[in-house]
Formats: sequence, C-alpha cells, structure tokens
Amino acid sequence: MIAALVVVPIVAGLLLYTLPRSAEAAAKWIGVVVSFGAFAVAVANAGAPDESHFWLQRPFSASFHVGLGGPGYWIVLLLELSSGCALMAARVPRMRDFVAQMLILLGAMTGVFVARDLLLFALFWDLMLLPVFLILVAWPVSKNSTTAWRYLVYNLSGGLALLLATAAYGIAEGSTDVIGKAASLVGPISPVWAFWIFSGIAFAFLVKTPVWPFHTWMPETYADLPAPMAAVVSAVQSKAGLYGFIVVGTQLLPGPMRAAAPLGIALGLIALVYGALAALVQDDAKRVVAYSSLSHLGLVVLGIFSFDPVALGGCIVYIVAHGLFSTGLFVTLGEVETREDTRLLSRLGGIGARNPRLAGALTIVSLAALGLPGLAGFAGEILILTGVYQAGYVWQTIVALVPIVIAAAYMLRVFQTIMQGPEVPDVPQREDLSPLEVLALAPIVLALVLLGVFPGPVAATRVVPVSSLAGGVPVVAVIK
Amino acid sequence: MLEFIWLVPLFGAVLLWTLGPQLRSWSGPIGSALIGASFLATCALWGSATAPGGLHVPLVSWLPGWSFGLQLDRLSLIWSLIITGVGFLIHVYSIGYMDGDRAFARFFAYMNFFVFAMLTLVLSDNVVGLLIGWGLVGLASYFLIGFWFYKPSAVAAAKKAFVINVFGDVGIMFAVFALYAATGSIAFADIFAKAGTLPVGVLIAVCVGLFVGAAAKSAQVPLQTWLPDAMEGPTPVSALIHAATMVTAGVYLVARFAPLYSLSPTAQELVAVVGATTMVLGAILGVGQWDIKRILAYSTMSQIGYMIMGVGVGAYQAGVLHFFTHAFFKAQLFLGAGLIIHALHDEQDVRKMGGLRERMPFAFWAMLIGTLAIIGFPLTSGFYSKDAVIYGALEHGHPWLYVAGVLTAGITAYYMFRMLFVTFFGPYRGGVPNERLAMPPAAVTHAEAEGHDSHAPDWVMQLPVAILIVPTIAAGYASVSFGGPSPWSRFFGTLFGTSYNVAGPILPVPEWASSIFVLLLVAAGIVIAYLRYGTPAAQAGAIERLRAEAVRMPPALVHAFWFDDAIEAAIVHPAQALGVAISRFVDPHVIDAGVRDVVWIAGALGVIFRKLQTGLVRGYALTIVIGAALFIAYFATLGASR
Repeated sequence: MIAALVVVPIVAGLLLYTLPRSAEAAAKWIGVVVSFGAFAVAVANAGAPDESHFWLQRPFSASFHVGLGGPGYWIVLLLELSSGCALMAARVPRMRDFVAQMLILLGAMTGVFVARDLLLFALFWDLMLLPVFLILVAWPVSKNSTTAWRYLVYNLSGGLALLLATAAYGIAEGSTDVIGKAASLVGPISPVWAFWIFSGIAFAFLVKTPVWPFHTWMPETYADLPAPMAAVVSAVQSKAGLYGFIVVGTQLLPGPMRAAAPLGIALGLIALVYGALAALVQDDAKRVVAYSSLSHLGLVVLGIFSFDPVALGGCIVYIVAHGLFSTGLFVTLGEVETREDTRLLSRLGGIGARNPRLAGALTIVSLAALGLPGLAGFAGEILILTGVYQAGYVWQTIVALVPIVIAAAYMLRVFQTIMQGPEVPDVPQREDLSPLEVLALAPIVLALVLLGVFPGPVAATRVVPVSSLAGGVPVVAVIK
Repeated sequence: MLEFIWLVPLFGAVLLWTLGPQLRSWSGPIGSALIGASFLATCALWGSATAPGGLHVPLVSWLPGWSFGLQLDRLSLIWSLIITGVGFLIHVYSIGYMDGDRAFARFFAYMNFFVFAMLTLVLSDNVVGLLIGWGLVGLASYFLIGFWFYKPSAVAAAKKAFVINVFGDVGIMFAVFALYAATGSIAFADIFAKAGTLPVGVLIAVCVGLFVGAAAKSAQVPLQTWLPDAMEGPTPVSALIHAATMVTAGVYLVARFAPLYSLSPTAQELVAVVGATTMVLGAILGVGQWDIKRILAYSTMSQIGYMIMGVGVGAYQAGVLHFFTHAFFKAQLFLGAGLIIHALHDEQDVRKMGGLRERMPFAFWAMLIGTLAIIGFPLTSGFYSKDAVIYGALEHGHPWLYVAGVLTAGITAYYMFRMLFVTFFGPYRGGVPNERLAMPPAAVTHAEAEGHDSHAPDWVMQLPVAILIVPTIAAGYASVSFGGPSPWSRFFGTLFGTSYNVAGPILPVPEWASSIFVLLLVAAGIVIAYLRYGTPAAQAGAIERLRAEAVRMPPALVHAFWFDDAIEAAIVHPAQALGVAISRFVDPHVIDAGVRDVVWIAGALGVIFRKLQTGLVRGYALTIVIGAALFIAYFATLGASR
C-alpha cells in the first residue's frame, strides 16, 4: 500500500491525459479524490511495515524500499492535505493538464519522503522537478521563461550533485538502502569520502530549501507558478532539503554534518534575517510570502544544525506548520488574485468589507505565519529556539528573535493592505469565498489549531525507528 | 469547573463568530450571559482557590518538561474575578453602546475571545501557557482596536499595538529559553522550586526578558506609544482591555514571578525605575491632551506606572491592590466617558464639550466619583491603594521613587480636574466652529458613516456604571487595618515570599504623615485646575482660554516627547531601507550576478544538446542519466581497484 501512495497518483496523472480537454471539472475532482484518498490510505497505514523489493546489485546494492515513518510520515500527510486543498480551491486555465501535473508532482514528492533507499530518494528528487518546470514553461504568467530555466538549472545542478553523492555513497558503503538507519549500524565511511558526499547532498539540500545564498530562483518561481502549485511547492517541495538534512545528514553523515554546524547556523541565521527584511518591502503579495519562506526555513536550518533533541522536535513541528500556513497563504492569495486580477499591494485595498470570509481566511493563515501563540507555527518556533538556546547558541537565539517581530510587521502589512482600510475604487468583480473554497481551507485551519495545541506526537517523532537502534547509539538523541 | 470558567468564553467567541449573522441582536445578551456564567463559576471556586495549594488541572503535554495545565491560586483568583466580573459589566454596557453597529455580533465574539485569552494568561500553570495567553490577548486587542477597520487610523493603530506587543512576546520567549535551559521545565512550580539555585546571570536575563514583555503589554516607557493610539477602538474596549485588565498583565507577570524578582535586586531596580518613569511621563502627557479618551489613556499609563513601581520595589501586595482598585475606577471613568461620547455622536474632544453637568447629570456624578478615586481622595478606593504603593516605595528604601510618586499624585489631581471642569462646566461648546477652538476641520465621524443609532434603553449603559460606583468607593477598604494585618494582607499571606517585610523606611516618615503630604499635593493640583478652568471668569471665557492653550501647547506635549518619531527613525526606516537594498540591489546584482554566469554556461551546454536533436525535457533527463552513468562507472572502477 505504501508503494501505491507513490504509483497511483503518477499513473492517475498520466491517465488524465486520456480525458478530453474540456472535462475540467472531472479532472479537478479526480485530483481532489486521489489526494484525499492518498491521505486516508496514509493515515490507515500509520506504522505499517516497510515494503522492499530488490533492485540492483552492482555497482552497489539498492532496493525499491519504501516506508511510512519518522518525520517523513508527517510530511506525507501534509503533502496530501496540501495538494487536496489546493486542488479543491483551484481555478486555473487548462485544468486537465494542470491537475495531471499536480498528481505527478504529488506522487514524485511522496516518493521522496517514503524512500528508504538513497538512490530511490535521489531519483524521486529529480522527478519532482519536472512537473514544476513544465507548468512554469506552459503557464507563462509573467511572459518570462527565465523563471522556468532558472528553476531547472538551479535545482538540476542540485539534483545532479545529489545523484553523484548517492553514487559515491553506494560505492563507499556497498549499499544505499540506508535511510532510517543510524550511522552506527551502517558502518564507517572514511572522512575524506564522507566530506565529499556530504558536500554533494548539502548543496542539493541548500538549493532546494532554499537557504541563502542559493535562494534567488525562489521568489520568482513562487510568484510565477499558479497559486495551487505554488502552495504545494512551497509547502512540501521546499521541505525536501530540510528532511534530507534530518534523515540523511544527521543520521548517515554525522561527522561532516557536525563539522558543518557553524556554517549551517550562520546560513540559517542570515536567511532568517535577510528574508524577513526583504519581505518587509515587497509589493507583490506572493513575493512577500516567498521571502518569508526563506526566513522561516532559515529557522529550521538553525534548529537542525543545533543538534538539540528539543530543537529537532520543533523542526519537525515547524516543517509541518510552515507547510500548512504556506498552503493557506498561497491559496487565499490566489483567491484574491482571481477576484481582483492583481496581487500588487499598491493596487489592492479594503476588499475585506465585502469579502468577510476571505478576510477571515487570510487573517488566520497570516496569524499562523507570524507565529501567533496557540497556532502551529508558534509551537515549532518556541521548541526550536529553546533547543538552540539550550545547545549553547545564546546570541544566535537573540538574533533569531528579531525576525519574529519583523514577521508580525510584514504579515500584517499584507493582510491589512489587502483587506482593510478604505476600498480602492477601481478593483473589479467581488464575490466572497464560495462554500467549496471555505471547505478547501477548513482542513488547513483546523490542522493549524490542532498542531498548535497538541504538537506532542509530531515533536516526539523518532528520526530513527527503535528497531534499528538495537546495536548502536543514535547521533541525535531521540526523544521520549 | 476550572476548565468551564476558561472555555465558556471561547465557546461564546466561536459561537458568535460563526453564527453571528443569524443571532443578530441576540449576540450581545448571549455573549454577556456567558461571561456572567464564567464570573459566577469563578466566585464558586473561591473556597478551593484559597485552600492551600490552590486548584490545579493538568491539560496536555508536548514533550518531557513541557506540560500544560490550569491553576487557580490567590493571585490568579483576584485577576480572574476582575476579568470576568468587570468584563461582564462592560459586556452589558456594550449591548447599549454598540447597538446598531453593522458588526454587532463580531464585536461580542472578539470581546468573548479576549476574556478567554486573558483567562488563559492568568490561569496557566506554566510560562509557555502564559505566553500563549499573552499573545492571544494581544490578538484580541488588535482585533478590537481595528474594529472599525475602514478607518485608516484604526488600522494603523492596531498594527502598531500588535507589533510592539510581539516585541514584548519575544522578550518572554527569551525568558522561556533561559528558564527551560536552567530548570528543564516550563512549569511555575518547578521553576520556583529551583529559583534559589539559578545563577545570577540567568536570573537577570530571565527577569529582564519577562519585563520586556511586561513593559510592552503594560505600556511602560519606551514601549508606551501604542496605548494612546489604541483609543481608536470602541470605548467599551478601551475600558476593558486598555484600562482594566489587559494592560495590567505586566503587573501580574512581575507579581507572578515574585520569587525570581525578589532574588534579583538589579532586575527589581530596573522594573521600579521604568515604572516610576512611566508614572511621571504619563501624568505629564495627560496634562496636554484634548481627547477625553486620550486623557484617560495617559492616566492609565501613569497608574500602571504606579503598579509596576509597586511590584518593582517589592511591595507586591500594594501593586496588586492598586491594580484591583484601578480596574474599577478606570472602568468607571471610561464607561462614563463612553456615555458622553455616545450622547454626543462620537465627539471625543473636550473642547467641543462643556456644560454637560446639567445635560448629563448621571455621567457627571459617575465621572466625578471615578476622578476622586483616581486622584486618591480620602475614603475612595484609590486613596488606599495609591498610598500603599507610594509608601511602599519609601518602605523598601527608594526615597527618590517615593518623591516621584507623591509629585505624580499632584499632577494627576490637576489633569483629572482639568478634564472635569472643561467637560462638565461652563457653556456647551458643541456648536462652536472648530477653527475658533484651534481644532482641525471636522472629519466624517463614525456616526455619520455607519448610521449609528442607538435603540437600547438608557439603563443598559447606566446600570453597569452605577454598579461600578460601589467598588470604586469601597474596594480599597480591604486594605484597612484595625490593628494586625489587613484582610488584603491576610489574603495573600506569604504568596509573594516574605521579602516585603522590610526592616523599615530609610526616612523616618510615618505612614499617616506621608498620606497628609500626598493629600496636600492633591489639593494643590485641584486648586490649580480650579483656578485655570473652574472659576466663573474662566468658565465664561472658556472658548478663548482653550484656544489660547491649544495654540501655545508645548511641542513636547503635542508630540508626546517624540517617542514615535524616534522609533520610526531608529528602527522602522532602517529596516525598510535594508529591505529595499536587499531586494533592489543585493539579490539581483550581487547574488544573482554569480549565478547568471552559471546559467550562461548551462545555456551553452543546452545548445550542444540541442544539436544532438533531443527534445527540451528529454535533453535534460539525458544529462542526468549520462552524467550519473559516467560517474557511477567511474566510482565502480575506483571501487574495484580499491
């Protein structure tokens, strides 16, 4: 059943092309059903045993090994939720092709987070670039194909580095069937090899997240993607790198990972502050969210490289929380854009008076994004920073608190400018959220509240399953 | 039962928010009744709260050391009673005040949400729960300041209040980190049990972090600028949130963490001095205001300064007592002002009032009693609590803060009576053109824009005010002692530790002499106000006098000592400039410049691959495959030769 979570969406996506182009509503509902169906299957299969099929023996052994567990489990749930909600609210041209690509993206990304084999992980990693690239090329919102190419060049060079590192790892270790195991069980790698392998995967992860200074592809990509896909990409695809650092970096390559800690902390902090400052002055609402992502994910990088168990628990909470409010933000901003034909803050104003439901939705997701206590973002934030402080990074913690204040300023700026104040006279058609659109956002809001109040199960996620701990001590202490 | 007290207002908020349009005018009575029920339940828990150990309910656990629960002890009991009790009265009042507003139900949803958030703050048994409540009251305050969100001034005021309060939240977050790192827990009980073992540095860091939060929430210098602007919210909001309850959360925080503050004289010094500064500054700024709500806002700021000074010097009981009495008389004053503003169709400038004593006798008496209480007139509640704070400063060895407290009492008497004379005496100036009073031209008021028109009977608004008169006068009697400790001091016992039992004052001034000293200055303040605004001659020439005063107002008062401008220049503008520099220069011309070269090379490679006559996408897929195959082959041979 776990393999089906990967295969079925991809097959469904390909089969959609057999429908006539005009069957837009059918395509959309197939997409919604597949996404939520996958969600239900994933929930039902929590704790299911791994599925493994022998794949190749030379030059190193690899398996088609997938499993639902660890941090990946929560991200898969997030992915399916985000994808379903985004599709439900979707209003884009050429719906059939769009849904098809969304489903392929869903399957590929699920593959990244359930893969228990490094080679499989790397292949899905490259596969998940394709739908985004195709959409960027085929829906030229800004009439500027540089975005698509830049996205591809950046992420493909990352993907190539990951593939090379995987190959090197396989050669050095003899097997790539190692994700979810502790390094002590896998066997030692010589420091020189470990260094180069780590450099390769770290480059891929830093570009994908992205972390400063590898981020310049990201604001324009998020701005130019149609809102539903921007939602899924920012919610989940950006987490692939962070997930990689957690399950591959800390577990399989602990030596170089620890050695890179000063660099990781520094890059995380720079991203945190730099993104927040840039978000403060953007005119395009989607670019505000894009830069805020740079800032928020910098916080997670900071948490991962602190190697503190509380911080690590916080990172997993925050990864899911960010996915949720990011989906919510892109979907609601998409609703604003389809209504007003613009997302420039300088041209919007006062639409909340006639769109109370839309205003309410944007309020809640903005509040979650700025880390309102009681919602999911806050739970992640405070756990991460407590851990970072505990690990001894006192001044870094104080610096990391500043962007929280800036986040309040830029999120309120977006919300207030769009929704409040006097109405701008020349904005066109206005209709509030339809019941369907409310329904699409409701799970996101509910999950934000639930995770904000009960983050315990997510925060206590074991990165390495107990079974694999039998013979050794994990590098990052497990919680519980 | 404790969960009931806590969750009923949340239920109300969700109910009124989702079903508001259906409930219409029922929203007000329903919202009020729920808060009333919460108040009655709190009263019913008096016995178990005052029992040794109080009442404790565990709720949820995040991780080891991160357990959340509710606790009702004597300190949180006092706060809960005020929040639900005064909150209930203000809810009832709002039924009249907000009647006819388009968003009547939404108003009560926010108000109920505020009560829920405030209860979360005071009932939490741990510092993170307190922080969650702390953030949520900030959100409720944000919603209610910006309630009339079509007004740009209200939107700006709401944002300012929120951002400054997030700055405060961040201070408390820092305290959480330090406390957890040092004690391994977020629960008050665990933290206080280990208070004695904390290193001095950690203690100071925690106390300062917490106080940053307290200062932001309680409008202490230099984080006070949001409070006067917060008067953009409807008047009942100002009464409940920005006077009686939320803004005193800083006092609660310092009193709650008394076991830590008492161990750190440095932190205490900081708290006391900031409180005293705010107390003096608020009173001085109160002298120069024309908007009746801004006068009251600055008086709130000044009175919270008293409370903070009280808990800062270690006179915790006195500080909390002043919170207790202030909640009543300040709610009284704001609701009284609301009666006037409501009757005058949202006119708030005292220059356009005058002579209201005959037209609104009830409002006059309500405001008069509230004024007497706030200036500390004998036998009113404010007399006892303010004296206790002022004398507490002396008792704990702070003669300069004592002098500041006495002087501020005099200034308070002056500006409060100035407000009374200008509002209620002399001729009515409602019809006088703005220009003659040196006022800006009239803007479109809320009443005209919304068609705001009240249908509720007068008693709905007058009754809560009338009820508040009783505690406004009598709440202070709890601290009167007839030999032995007063009921107030017996109630708290050793809750705040024993540090307030100090050896004795530095200056040999007995308490009764100090009281007379304070009263003399209060009398002087009243007399000066009378001579300037109250004599028959002053009343007759009121228009010219007020105009002249407005024109000659010192710029320092007009600009509130330029705190806003300083924050703009020192923080807001530099942050925006950095943001612009990043997005216009660093990102496109520094970081991207390097990347562009790479893209150019890739483009060149793309040309080569196109010559291989592959499709666009397949070309790239091929790149991956060929590259990977080459390297795998390379490593394979390498592995074989090893």
